[in-house]
Amino acid sequence: MLPSYASSAHREKMNRHGYGAGANGHCSSGRNFSIPTDKYDKYQPRSRNAFQRRRGLFIRLSGAIAALLFILMIFIPSIRPAAIFPALSLGLFGSDEAFQLETVRYYDLSNVGGTSRGWEREERILLCAPLRDAAPHLPMFFSHLRNLTYPHQLIDLAFLVGDSKDNTLTLLSDLLADLQVNPDIKGTFGEISVLEKDFGQKVNQDVESRHGFAAQASRRKSMAQARNWLLSAALRPTHSWVYWRDVDVETAPFTILEDLMRHNKDVIVPNVWRPLPDWLGGEQPYDLNSWQESETALALADTLDEDAVIVEGYAEYATWRPHLAYLRDPYGDPDMEMEIDGVGGVSILAKAKVFRSGVHFPAFSFEKHAETEGFGKMAKRMKFSVVGLPHYTIWHLYEPSVDDIRHMEEMENERKQREAEEKAKQERMEKIQNDFDDGASQWAKDKEEVKNMQKSSEAKQAGEADEKSSDVKKTESSKKESDDSSKAESPSKGEKGKQGGSE
Amino acid sequence: MAVSRSLRRNNAITYVLAGSLCLMFLYFFFGSSDLTSLPASPRQLLKSKDAASNPLSPPSLPFRKQDPNEIPAPPPVVHYHMNNVTTTPDPIGNRESVLILTPLARFYQEYWDNLVKLSYPHDLISLGFIIPKGKEGNEATRLLQERIQKTQSPTNKNRFASITIERQDDEPPVAQTESERHALSHQKERRAAMSRARNSLLFTTLGPTTSWVLWLDSDIVETPPSLIQDLASHDKEIIVPNCFQRYYNKDKNMMDIRPYDFNSWQDSPTAQGLAEKMGPDDILLEGYAEMATYRTLMAYLGDVNGNQRHVIDLDGVGGTALLVKADVHRDGAMFPPFAFYHLIETEGFAKMARRLGWKSYGLPNYYVYHYNE
Repeated sequence: MLPSYASSAHREKMNRHGYGAGANGHCSSGRNFSIPTDKYDKYQPRSRNAFQRRRGLFIRLSGAIAALLFILMIFIPSIRPAAIFPALSLGLFGSDEAFQLETVRYYDLSNVGGTSRGWEREERILLCAPLRDAAPHLPMFFSHLRNLTYPHQLIDLAFLVGDSKDNTLTLLSDLLADLQVNPDIKGTFGEISVLEKDFGQKVNQDVESRHGFAAQASRRKSMAQARNWLLSAALRPTHSWVYWRDVDVETAPFTILEDLMRHNKDVIVPNVWRPLPDWLGGEQPYDLNSWQESETALALADTLDEDAVIVEGYAEYATWRPHLAYLRDPYGDPDMEMEIDGVGGVSILAKAKVFRSGVHFPAFSFEKHAETEGFGKMAKRMKFSVVGLPHYTIWHLYEPSVDDIRHMEEMENERKQREAEEKAKQERMEKIQNDFDDGASQWAKDKEEVKNMQKSSEAKQAGEADEKSSDVKKTESSKKESDDSSKAESPSKGEKGKQGGSE
Repeated sequence: MAVSRSLRRNNAITYVLAGSLCLMFLYFFFGSSDLTSLPASPRQLLKSKDAASNPLSPPSLPFRKQDPNEIPAPPPVVHYHMNNVTTTPDPIGNRESVLILTPLARFYQEYWDNLVKLSYPHDLISLGFIIPKGKEGNEATRLLQERIQKTQSPTNKNRFASITIERQDDEPPVAQTESERHALSHQKERRAAMSRARNSLLFTTLGPTTSWVLWLDSDIVETPPSLIQDLASHDKEIIVPNCFQRYYNKDKNMMDIRPYDFNSWQDSPTAQGLAEKMGPDDILLEGYAEMATYRTLMAYLGDVNGNQRHVIDLDGVGGTALLVKADVHRDGAMFPPFAFYHLIETEGFAKMARRLGWKSYGLPNYYVYHYNE
């Protein structure tokens, strides 16, 4: 009675019961061992479809296609993945690019009020420079930009190029690209915008017409327009400060932004002078648009019509205003402040909130002023602080006026004349020198001749005085020789005397 | 036989893997050259519809999101051809971008619905909001952002080009009740604060690509969907529709309309005479019995059945709905927060624009509707 045997018989029975007779041939063989039959099913050749049967072929084919694609990609750059993928994805998911775009911006304007230590609080500055025919000054301006100590990534640059006849635009974009691609230690700048806008102004920018009285009002108004366009296009909600800077500033401290910011005023300007050639006095106040209002000027303003513009520095409008420029003391405290009403545009640092609240450069007569002076007036009107620093000076480039140029030409002529005179003198001296040389050689010839003559005469005398005593002969010849030497001295002395006289 | 077969299959997989690896290598070799050359491209020209490549860009343009993992490329040098920014009677045909500016005090769902319904192509519309920082402002911001999230989702084909929300804590532009708001004594202060809010919003969002600026108050709840095209088609530098209000007329027992905005007017000698007698900081206001100016008010010239395209000259404009060519603002015309020729805010704006050589016009028979509290 083996339980295993019994169980095997039972199993066989079970098998027969379970699978039926000869389900797959194993059970019908009658052997008493059994392997679960379904296990073998796995090893039965499955019916393979056409694809499975040709899989190898497909793999080889796709491999060949991939290889072909590589080769094509190597030789035809346009079908490389970088070019293909965007096109592909655009076709498949039309909104893919939409997912890449951010359309909503949120700003809190209370964070961009501007403080005295902006560089620590990472306050952004917008640096604005209106340009027209400014190509000669651009390299200098860019060296100033690179030198600024304020963190460069916090400075956004905005340029308005308009009505330029020279290569300002191309030079500017080259310099800017260089500035962003090859940054120095202080890093790249922030947003850089170049606004190209022609206003169709016919006003010349050369020094004479620029400063002529008649052209002033319309010139100032068109300048104001350019400034407003620049500002309104470039001001962002992120800006705490706006700095206006002319490109023709020659010398300014590298720390000018921090220096002006430290005062924590709404609008602040430094003193602007310019160097002059020595014959003009060495230096001169340049920017006369920064001034304090005077009673005379207010009274004058009342007499003028609505569109008149008072401009400073012309005899036509004697305003008797205290000018920031004239109050400069080279040894004064550079931190000294002075309340002013009109501001000059060479270098203005203003809090962005001043511009945000609407102060701009009036391109019309605002309280009888336009552009930067009107800007100062309007800022005052909106109760912002407007301050100038009389002893903190930056230096404007010296561009000679027509008078100066004439004067310089005269000086140049004088110099040339003097040079010519000197040259003539030199020539004469040389000639005299030559003459002297000729004389000396002539004299040498003469001397030679004299000697020859002497010799011949001696020879004669020797012939004649053969009978005379040898003592006498000796004294005679020595006397002649001493005569010769004295003769050799005297003419050279004479020449020298003459030479000295001519000098 | 079985072994060799499996080997052969393995081989095929290895080849495929090796091939794909090769592809990767080649991709990095050749693909990378294109990628690196992109940020270095020195001159970039942005037009009104383009997306900026850097977050440091005009708020009126969308910008490409930056990968937080990679070091951002230095901002590119961007050129804007402002000579090509046109303002023509056919703004859609010329793809001119419109900036809609709203000083927001309270958020009305009807306002947003009306805005979304505007038929001007939304990819040419940028929105700008300025909201005070008080409790009410926070609530308005929350509601606004909810709507924005829905409207600006990337799947929405009709989303706006960009939206800028600004918060300011200077003074709340409008925080009073309707009756307080219109009290004469509060007017100057209120409207000066309003002017500052408008100017802040305007000068930070205008950007170099905008052609038109549409001022639309947050309580304008009903306009024709073609508002922008209709106003622009007149090709006027400053143009204002007539702002009315719907209300329940108890006498007639039916819904009726009444004039709402009285700031659009033609000047009168009486008003000029009044102004002459005023101090330099006093302002003239419209709609107060204490100060009868006898100006011709556009609000009373409206005729529902009249010609909608009828245009009149104006000397003062209201700001509830106001379409301005961006050039006018760029020239410097802003909303004076001080007495400018005894005028303030939008009326002062019209005067300042006039001083700059731009004129204002009104459409007395073209209505927009103000919310009724």
